[in-house]
Amino acid sequence: MRILSLTLVLCLLAAFSNGQTHKVQKEKEKEKKVKPKREDNYIRLKGLRFGMDVTRPFQYLWTKGDRYGTEFSGDLEISPNLFPVFESGYEFMKIKTSYVDYSGQGSYSRFGLDYNFLQAENKNDKNILYGGLRYGFAFASQKVNNYLIDSYWGPTTGSFSNQNYFAQWGELLLGMKGEVFHNFYMGWSIRFKIQLNNKAIGYPLAYFIPGFGKAANGSNFDLTYSVYYNIPWDFRKNIGVKKLKAIVVKPKSVKKPVVKKPVLKKLTD
Amino acid sequence: MKQFLLLITILFIASACKEIYELPPQAMLQATITNPTTNLPMTSKVTYKGIGRDSMWVSATSVNLITFPLSTKETTSFVVSFDATVDTISFNHTSTQKYGSMETGFYYEYKLKSINSTHHRILSIDITDSLVTTIWHENIKLNISPLPSGGV
Repeated sequence: MRILSLTLVLCLLAAFSNGQTHKVQKEKEKEKKVKPKREDNYIRLKGLRFGMDVTRPFQYLWTKGDRYGTEFSGDLEISPNLFPVFESGYEFMKIKTSYVDYSGQGSYSRFGLDYNFLQAENKNDKNILYGGLRYGFAFASQKVNNYLIDSYWGPTTGSFSNQNYFAQWGELLLGMKGEVFHNFYMGWSIRFKIQLNNKAIGYPLAYFIPGFGKAANGSNFDLTYSVYYNIPWDFRKNIGVKKLKAIVVKPKSVKKPVVKKPVLKKLTD
Repeated sequence: MKQFLLLITILFIASACKEIYELPPQAMLQATITNPTTNLPMTSKVTYKGIGRDSMWVSATSVNLITFPLSTKETTSFVVSFDATVDTISFNHTSTQKYGSMETGFYYEYKLKSINSTHHRILSIDITDSLVTTIWHENIKLNISPLPSGGV
């Protein structure tokens, strides 16, 4: 009986110690998992960076119909690794088949933020791997110049006049930008676009949304490839200098306050 | 630079797959030729054409399922020959224009209101579904008298 109880106690002790070691191991693992803080808390991109998407004029190569356009962008590093972005463009879409002659066009804009995940090795390392969010909107119009419905009973033809519409969407993107020459950058991005509620425009429905793609799809994928130029003008530095000047100049211009001596006549009297 | 060249290559490969457009869909009225005594589909040698059209829609084909293309007018009529016995069928319907997409184009869908016919071979016509859409399905049952030799 004693042997049995001793064995039971030993088993419990073993289990307890095992649990303890597991706890210690888990704590160690947790310590390991804690990421080291980023050391690149400095702004690398001085000034504004302007870009042009070189893929926009050639979209007809991978989309149905004759889709083409231009797109420009601008971004700056407002705080370390955080880039507010503005993109704007104009797009055309034409489809001409035996049944439909369609044309759509419009302007679009997007604004949002990019965050750089790539830690810089030094201040000259300006390559970034980023994730971003965008809000996009477009003002567009479409027209069916001619349509044909072929039937055993003979063809029916018709057309639809100009329809104007507004559309909006959100984008989730992943991309890279790298400095290829001094102040010249190149970069690509993969975008997942989700259409937000759009107003129905009547019949026929909107087919193409500039900057988004096919309106019938609730979501679209897109690929961009852009070239950028960073205007080497450090606006922060200039703002800083102006502020400093203001601080230095101010005390000089301020006149010394005139302290009036108290009138002691009455008291002395 | 390598990435850029790779992208251009992908774009050119992708461009080889473009510009393939589907034909616009067509709504067809589908009829089942039925033997009213057994209530089962019955095969018949059918030839038919639209009244006012020169060309045949179907010529001397042994079938138990036939399709009728409807017009945008309120009434569409056909002359149908069942094993050389001729009947005339008139479909009264409404038509609605539908938008597929700018790639496939536009088409019409119909709603059957009533059907009139002569009764040389046709005994009766039952409407099973009045909506004639691009997803072809049975809209009517054409109950025709069986041939004396059988023909089922």
